[in-house]
Amino acid sequence: MHGEYKMPGGKLIVIDLAVRDGCLADVQLSGDFFLEPDAALHAIDAALEGQRVDADEHMLAGAVRAQLAPGVMMYGISPEAIAVAVRRAIDQGTDA
Amino acid sequence: MTRTLWRDHHWQLIHTAPQAPALHMALDEVLTQEVGAGHRPPTLRVWEWGAPAVVIGRFQSLRNEVDAEAARRHGIEVVRRVSGGGAMFIEPGNTITYSIYAPLSLIKGMSFQEAYAWMDAWTLEALGQLGIKAWYQPLNDITSEGGKIAGAAQAHRGGAVLHHVTMAYDIDATKMLDVLRIGREKLSDKGTRSAAKRVDPLRSQTGLPREVIIARMIETFRTLHGLTDDQLRPSELADAEALAQQKFATAEWTADVP
Repeated sequence: MHGEYKMPGGKLIVIDLAVRDGCLADVQLSGDFFLEPDAALHAIDAALEGQRVDADEHMLAGAVRAQLAPGVMMYGISPEAIAVAVRRAIDQGTDA
Repeated sequence: MTRTLWRDHHWQLIHTAPQAPALHMALDEVLTQEVGAGHRPPTLRVWEWGAPAVVIGRFQSLRNEVDAEAARRHGIEVVRRVSGGGAMFIEPGNTITYSIYAPLSLIKGMSFQEAYAWMDAWTLEALGQLGIKAWYQPLNDITSEGGKIAGAAQAHRGGAVLHHVTMAYDIDATKMLDVLRIGREKLSDKGTRSAAKRVDPLRSQTGLPREVIIARMIETFRTLHGLTDDQLRPSELADAEALAQQKFATAEWTADVP
């Protein structure tokens, strides 16, 4: 399943994922945003992995934020915007 | 670390013969490290492209961004760079690309938005002298009334900032749209309906040959910030060639975000 969200004033945020047993699986965040350090990408994927399919945007953003190491810098992307893209993938996602 | 100004540094210029796309990616990583470690003074590198390429951003999905079959058909190599941002479609002679390698002190205390505009202030000055009224369009575009001219990206590594920019000199929009997948969501707040219409290349805006524009830009940098002609050191080139082979030319790296 595939969801995209262009953060207003920010960059494109893309989520590809599967749903297994009511939970998010194989979550992949991508897009033309900026993250420092770049290893934060995989930390965000890991934070979303296993989240319940009925988690709301607030819960998803919180899960991402909790996983981010201190000092991670985001430009054109935010935990809230990632959560929007995840919900879009779940709610309207077509197979990419 | 205190803030430094452009003139606090002895800027070096590297402008070599055309090089392969994967080698360019590796040179950015190696030279950023060398400047961060204090082994090389801050440097401006002007790229010459040895082959057509699609350069995707560090966090972009390979399959979402690139039509691999179309890229193969056109003989276009796909490489992933170390910085974030969007995909660039490159044909030799069609873009002007440069990198700036600087200590982080040059942008100390700045927001990302300020740091991007700061690193390209000389470029806006050069464009003005060429008769183009251009400005910074946050987050990372240089644009004019005619449309987008360039895209920038920064990455921080080991005490240094890499700031690189690709400017459109000329563009084969049909081929670009054949190879790049540019979705509607991305254009949703840009006020335009097609990616091709978003770009207004320097050739049509200036009527000048690409080499003339590059020479004028280098002179503007030299006048504003000081600039000494330099060359790649043999060790830097050897490190970059090894890194190109071991990392940037590998399928593992290019498909790191599949």
